[in-house]
Amino acid sequence: MMKQAGSSSNIFSIKYRLKRLKRDSNRWSIFTLAIILFIALPIISIGVKLFAGPGETWGHIVDNLLLDYIGNSLFLVFVCSFLVLLFGVSSAWLVARFEFPLRKQMEWLLILPLAIPGYIVAYAYAGVFDYGGSMDLIFRWLGWDFIRIDIMNKAGLAFVLSISLFPYVYVSSRAFFLNQANNLLEASTILGVGEFKSFFKLMLPLARPAIIAGLILVLMEVLNDYGAAQYYGVNTFTTGIFRAWFSLEEPETAVYLSALLIVIVFALILFEKWQRRNIKVSSARSNNTYIHRKSSSKFSQFLILLVVLIPVVLGFFIPVLQLIYWATLTFEKVFDLDFLMLSLQSFGIAILTAMITVLFATFLIYFSKWSFLGFIKNIARMGILGYAIPGAVIAIGIMIPTLAFDKWLIGALDYLFSIKTGLLINGTLVALVYAYCVRFLAVAFNPIESTSLKVSNTIPDSSKMLGVGNLKTFFRIEFPLIKTGILSALILVFIDVLKELPLTLILKPFHINTLAVKAYEYASDEMIMEAAIPSLFIIFTAALPVIFLNKLLIKK
Amino acid sequence: MKKLMFGMIALIMFNSCKNGSNDENSQAEAQNQEVNVYTHRHYEADQELFKKFEEQTGIKVNVINSNADELIQKMSMEGEQSPADVLITVDAGRLTRAKDQGLLQPIESETLESTIPSHLKDAENYWFGITKRARIIAYAKDRVNPEELTTYEDLATDKWEDKILIRSSSNIYNQSLLASIIVNNGEDGAKEWTRDMVENMARSPKGSDRDQVKAVVAGEGDLAILNSYYVGQMLNSSDPEEVETAKKVGLHFPNQDGRGTHINVSGAGVAKYAPNKDNAIRFIEFLVSEEAQEVFANLNYEYPVNPNVEPAPLLQEWGEFKEDTLNLSKLGENNKKAVVIFDEAGWK
Repeated sequence: MMKQAGSSSNIFSIKYRLKRLKRDSNRWSIFTLAIILFIALPIISIGVKLFAGPGETWGHIVDNLLLDYIGNSLFLVFVCSFLVLLFGVSSAWLVARFEFPLRKQMEWLLILPLAIPGYIVAYAYAGVFDYGGSMDLIFRWLGWDFIRIDIMNKAGLAFVLSISLFPYVYVSSRAFFLNQANNLLEASTILGVGEFKSFFKLMLPLARPAIIAGLILVLMEVLNDYGAAQYYGVNTFTTGIFRAWFSLEEPETAVYLSALLIVIVFALILFEKWQRRNIKVSSARSNNTYIHRKSSSKFSQFLILLVVLIPVVLGFFIPVLQLIYWATLTFEKVFDLDFLMLSLQSFGIAILTAMITVLFATFLIYFSKWSFLGFIKNIARMGILGYAIPGAVIAIGIMIPTLAFDKWLIGALDYLFSIKTGLLINGTLVALVYAYCVRFLAVAFNPIESTSLKVSNTIPDSSKMLGVGNLKTFFRIEFPLIKTGILSALILVFIDVLKELPLTLILKPFHINTLAVKAYEYASDEMIMEAAIPSLFIIFTAALPVIFLNKLLIKK
Repeated sequence: MKKLMFGMIALIMFNSCKNGSNDENSQAEAQNQEVNVYTHRHYEADQELFKKFEEQTGIKVNVINSNADELIQKMSMEGEQSPADVLITVDAGRLTRAKDQGLLQPIESETLESTIPSHLKDAENYWFGITKRARIIAYAKDRVNPEELTTYEDLATDKWEDKILIRSSSNIYNQSLLASIIVNNGEDGAKEWTRDMVENMARSPKGSDRDQVKAVVAGEGDLAILNSYYVGQMLNSSDPEEVETAKKVGLHFPNQDGRGTHINVSGAGVAKYAPNKDNAIRFIEFLVSEEAQEVFANLNYEYPVNPNVEPAPLLQEWGEFKEDTLNLSKLGENNKKAVVIFDEAGWK
C-alpha cells in the first residue's frame, strides 16, 4: 500500500532517468510543453508585465491596505478549509460507507450546492438575514424581533463560500472511498478495528491526496472570489486587485498583486507536496472492488441522514428557497421565452468547454507521465495555476496574445491577399473557450490526476513491455480505469463554466449571452430579486447533468 | 471510447464551423445597419429603449454589458479594431477616463448641444450625460429631525457619531462624491471630512445602497447616503417588505443653501474608432430625445437631462432641488485622489 521511496536511490534514479531519457523519444515531452505553453501563454503575458515594476501607488497599498488583504485572505483560507473538510469529508464518508434512507438522493443533492454561483448564495443569505428578510419576518412573527443575525462580515463570508464550495471535497473524497476503500475496510474489520478508528487511522490518511486535491480547488476559488467579498465588505486580495486596477487606475499594480496571490497559491501546493513527499499511495491490486455498505440500526440511520442533510440544507435548500420566493415576486416582470434560449446557449458553451478542457487535462497528465522527464511533471502542474487568477485578469491575459495574433493576421491577410477582416479570435467563441480552458484546467486536472494516481502502474507497464504503444495502452487499459475521474472532471468544469462571470463579461461575443451574465445584470443594479430567475435557471441547467453523471459515477 | 473521442472532435469541429459562420454573419450584418454598444447600464428601461430605437430606425443594437472599467480596458486593448461604437457608463468619472485614454471622439450634433445643459456634458463634446441622479440622505423619520440635516460637511461633525450608514469606498458613487468635495473644499478639507466620516460610521461599510436604507430602518444607524433612484425603485419594488422599508425613511437633499446637492450622470460617448459613427450619433440623440427621457424617468426614477421632460411624479413629490453645477469632468480628474484619501482614512 505505502512505499517509502528511499532517498538513498537518488544517484541511481538520476542515472536511470538519463538512460530512459536517451531511450525514450521526446515526443511526449514536446507535446506536454506545447500544451503548457498554450495554457500558460495568457499567464506569461501578464507575468511579463511584472518586469515593469508596480505603479506609484504600490507604496500606498503596502502602507494602508496590504495587511488587511493578507489577514482577511488567510482568515478565509483557514476557516474555509476547516468548514469545507468538515462538511465535505464527513458527508462523503457517510454516503459511501453507510446505508440509510434517501441515500441515493443525498448522493447527488450533496453536489448541487456547486450549481449556485457563490455570489448568488451570498446575496441569498443576505436576503435571508437582513431587515425585512425571510428570517427577520419569521422572528417578527414569533415576536422575537430583537434578534438580528448579521451575516455580512468576514465569518459570514467564510461560511457562505464554504457551504457553496464543499462539494469539490465531497466529490473527490467520495470517489476514493467508493473505489479504493473496500479491501482495507474488510481487512480492518477482520482485525477487529472499530469504525471510528479505521476511519481516522486508515481512511483519512489514505484519502488524503483526493481530499487535498478537492481542498486546493476550494481554496483557489475562495481566494478568487470577488462578488461575495465585495458585497459583504471584506477586503481580500482579489477585491484589492480590482481596486488597484480600476479605482487606482494602475493595471501594473494589479498585476503585482495577482503575482503575489499566485505565489501564495503555489506555496500552498508545494507545502502540500512537501508534506507527503515520502508517501506514495498506490494500490497493489488494480481491481479494487466497490465498497460494501454497512447497515445499522434505524436510529443511527436516521442520525446519519440528519448529519448529511445539514450541508444540503445550508448549501442548497435555503438559498434556493430564498431564490424561489424572490422569483415568485418578480416572475411576471422578468420571465420570457428568451430564458430558454439563454439556457440552451449557456448549456452548449459549458458542454463544449468541459469536453475541451478535460481533453487538455488528460493529455497533460498522460503526456507528462510518458515523457519520463521529471521536470516536465512539475511544469505540468503549473497548468493549473490559472484557477487562482481572477477571471478578469485572465481575460486580459487572453486578450494580449490573441489580439497580437489577430492584428498580425489582419495585416498579413491585407498584405498578401488584400482581404480586409475584423478581429478573428477576439470577440468570438474561440477566445472565450480558450479563456475558460486556462481558468478551469485545474478543475479537470485534479480529479483525473487523483484517479490516475490510484491506477497501479503494473498493467500499463507490462502492456508497454509487450510492445503496445502508449496511446493504445491508454485507451485499452488506463482510460476505463480513470473514467470516474474524467466524468467528475466533466461535471465540475461544466458547472463552473455555467456559473463563470467576469471572464464571460469581458470576452463574450455580441451574439451570445449566458444566464450568469443575465443574473449579474440584475444583481449589479441592486435588483437582487430580479436576478433570482436567471439564477434558478443556472441551478436547474447545472442540476440535470449533475444527477445524470452522478448515476454514471455510482454505477462504476 | 474511440467513439466518444470522435464524437468530441466532431462536436468541436461542428462548433468551430458554427463559429465561423457566426462571424460571417456579423461581417454581413456590418453591411446592414447596426450600432455596437458597450454599456454598464443593464436596466429594463435601457432594453426597452434599444428595442424602440431598432423599430424606429431599423438599426440593430448589439450590446455588450459589463462593468465600465472592464469595457474601457477592452476598448483600449482592441484599439483601432474595436467594434465598439458607443460607450455608456453610469458615472462621468469613467467617461473622462475613457476620453483621457483616447478612446472617444468629439462629435458635432446640434441636437445634443442644444438639449443637454453644459455642466452635464464634456466641454469638448467627447461625452454627454443621458440621465441624472443625486446622492442624497435618507433618514429615520422617527429618530431624526430633518431640520438638523444641512450639508455633506455637517455629516462629519460629532453630532452624527455612530449614526451614518454608507457603502464601501470601492463604489464609484462614493468616489465621485469625495471627488466633488475635493474640488469644492480642497484636498486637506476632503481628508479631514473623510477621517471624520469614518469616525461617524455606524458600522463597517458593506452591502449596496438599498442595504443602507434597510439598516436605517432596522435601527443600526440614523442616516444613509444613497443615490436618489434607489428610493424610487424600492418604493416600487416587487417585495412588499422593501416598499414598507422605503416608506419609513425621509429624504434630504443636502447643501441647498450652498453649492447644491452632488449629482452624477449616466453618460454616453462615441468610440474613437467607431465603425458606425453616424448610427452612434443617432443613437445618443435618440437617448436624450423627449420620448426616451420619459422612459428613463418613469421606469427608472432617474432625473432627465432633457429640460423639456418632467421627472417621474414620485420625484416631483420630493420637490425641486438645487444641484451642484460643478462640471462633471472634474469628478474624473479627481477620482484617483479620492480613492487614495479613502484608503488613508481607512474607509473600507
